[in-house]
Amino acid sequence: MHFRKFLLITYFIIFFPTLSSQLRIEIKGGAEESISIAVVPMQWNLEVPQETFIHKVIKSDLESFGEFNVLPPRNMLSLPTSKEGVFFKDWRLLGTDYLVIGNVKSTDIDREIRASYTIYDVVKERAIHRGSVLGPISTLRKIGHKISDTIYSRIHGIPGIFSTRLAYIDKPSNSDPNYNLMISDIDGYDSMSLFSSPQPLMSPSWSPDLKNIAYVSFEEGTSRIFIQKLSSAERKGLKLEKGINSSPNWSPDGKKISAVLSKTGNPDIFIYDMERSSWSQVTKHFGIDTEPDWSPNSKSILFTSNRSGSPQLYEVNTRNNRIKRLTFEGSYNARGRYLPDGKGIVFVHRQNGIFHIATQNLKTGKVKILTDTTLDESPTVSPNGNVVIYATKDGDKDILAGITLDGKTKFVMPSLKGEAREPSWSPLID
Amino acid sequence: MNTFQKFYLTFLVIFLASCSSVSTDRTNDATAISASATGAYSDSGLTSNNVLYFAYDRSDINSEGRAKIRNLAKVINNNNLSVRVEGHCDERGTREYNLALGEQRAKTVAELLVINGVPSSKISTVSYGEEKPAVSGSNENSWSKNRRALVKTF
Repeated sequence: MHFRKFLLITYFIIFFPTLSSQLRIEIKGGAEESISIAVVPMQWNLEVPQETFIHKVIKSDLESFGEFNVLPPRNMLSLPTSKEGVFFKDWRLLGTDYLVIGNVKSTDIDREIRASYTIYDVVKERAIHRGSVLGPISTLRKIGHKISDTIYSRIHGIPGIFSTRLAYIDKPSNSDPNYNLMISDIDGYDSMSLFSSPQPLMSPSWSPDLKNIAYVSFEEGTSRIFIQKLSSAERKGLKLEKGINSSPNWSPDGKKISAVLSKTGNPDIFIYDMERSSWSQVTKHFGIDTEPDWSPNSKSILFTSNRSGSPQLYEVNTRNNRIKRLTFEGSYNARGRYLPDGKGIVFVHRQNGIFHIATQNLKTGKVKILTDTTLDESPTVSPNGNVVIYATKDGDKDILAGITLDGKTKFVMPSLKGEAREPSWSPLID
Repeated sequence: MNTFQKFYLTFLVIFLASCSSVSTDRTNDATAISASATGAYSDSGLTSNNVLYFAYDRSDINSEGRAKIRNLAKVINNNNLSVRVEGHCDERGTREYNLALGEQRAKTVAELLVINGVPSSKISTVSYGEEKPAVSGSNENSWSKNRRALVKTF
């Protein structure tokens, strides 16, 4: 056990984001077999009143993707905050598989709190995890997300994604005439604008270290790729070439960006070397090559090309530039993203004139259509590979929606103001 | 503490360690900072008849459009104008693919202007893909108005 409370931590609180949420997860139909868990309200040992309830944050996290059924406190027979108060028989009676209890205390550092918690396996009648999360009192939601991540990973054996973030583009509306590059927590809370412009913004992409976002801005009258630091708002335009400069996507090591340039007369895939500040060409074809995505092992780049006459997905080997066609079903397969294990892709697939999100197993070639709405686009995969968030329409309105890759749980993220598009899921946050 | 108790305690500790885990995490306050574009880019339209329309997923121009471009070429040359051709798409299809398609549309118009006597040095092209629709609405009526190229003075 690490006693990190002895470390002196200074928090640089530079900017408070708006606390209002812009996206809310609303589940439409969930999984039939969900895990039953009880999260008891945590004992609050502070003098200041509690504004955010950690157990409510955990409940909403765990229920997001339909995998958990969280028992509401009103149905609990007792509200234990320490192991002495835990009677497994009672929780078994309620059909609970897992139980989480905890308490919140102040620490030696001003305005810092420690949430300590224990996860019990009710059936086996034992604790499976004891943990604590330290942080400023202003980060109660984030503390809840951290606990949710641990609960998720202890029970499912894969990382939880409740602390991850989402970048997206908000298009102009009556309330705001600008395009906005937004970031929010994955549940839609704590959203803020990173960059605002009267001209279009496109294609946000997180750097692997989460410190920067690359995106396209038309502020100079033409498309240009910018990299913006999250901590300082410092922006840098990548070397501008004639024609399209677009579709940035970071390499897994964060040293390069794949993108699209049309300086040769038509759009091709290029790689920008951050150290040398220079472009090198990867694909060369008179058709359209676009929408690059680096494979998790860095060995290849997925891209869309109409070289066969219709948009299809291809993979180019980054060592020898050899190209392999991946999709063969249907006449429109585009904007592909690798799944985190590299064994499959998710992309936009047109069937009978309707645009759906689909996956393809790269070994078997099997295509599975995930969504049943129209005009679905811009799929982005959770870093644990379980969920896809994508852009779709609700009437004429641009909204974000999501679906688990097993297809069992669908949810929509209706924007409370403005309209959201081009979601980009952050990597895992330590 | 006798030997048995020691043994039992050691066993208990090992047993508990094998089935449970401990973690300490830390959160930070948000440190992201926002920025905004300065000196917004803007441009103005050429008098009239400066819009060319396209079929779905196509970048070729019909005879009506070609006649329009001939007239535009005359106006541009007579007034010694520089123009910018903007390519646009409807919302169907992916955004980056549409950015490429919009460029093809803008380039088709630029090439036809050159064929009709406008010096290529007087023409620049840009694609906005589906990012700047003329009208909203997810139906063919709106889509047909959004698949367009605009010739603007620059």
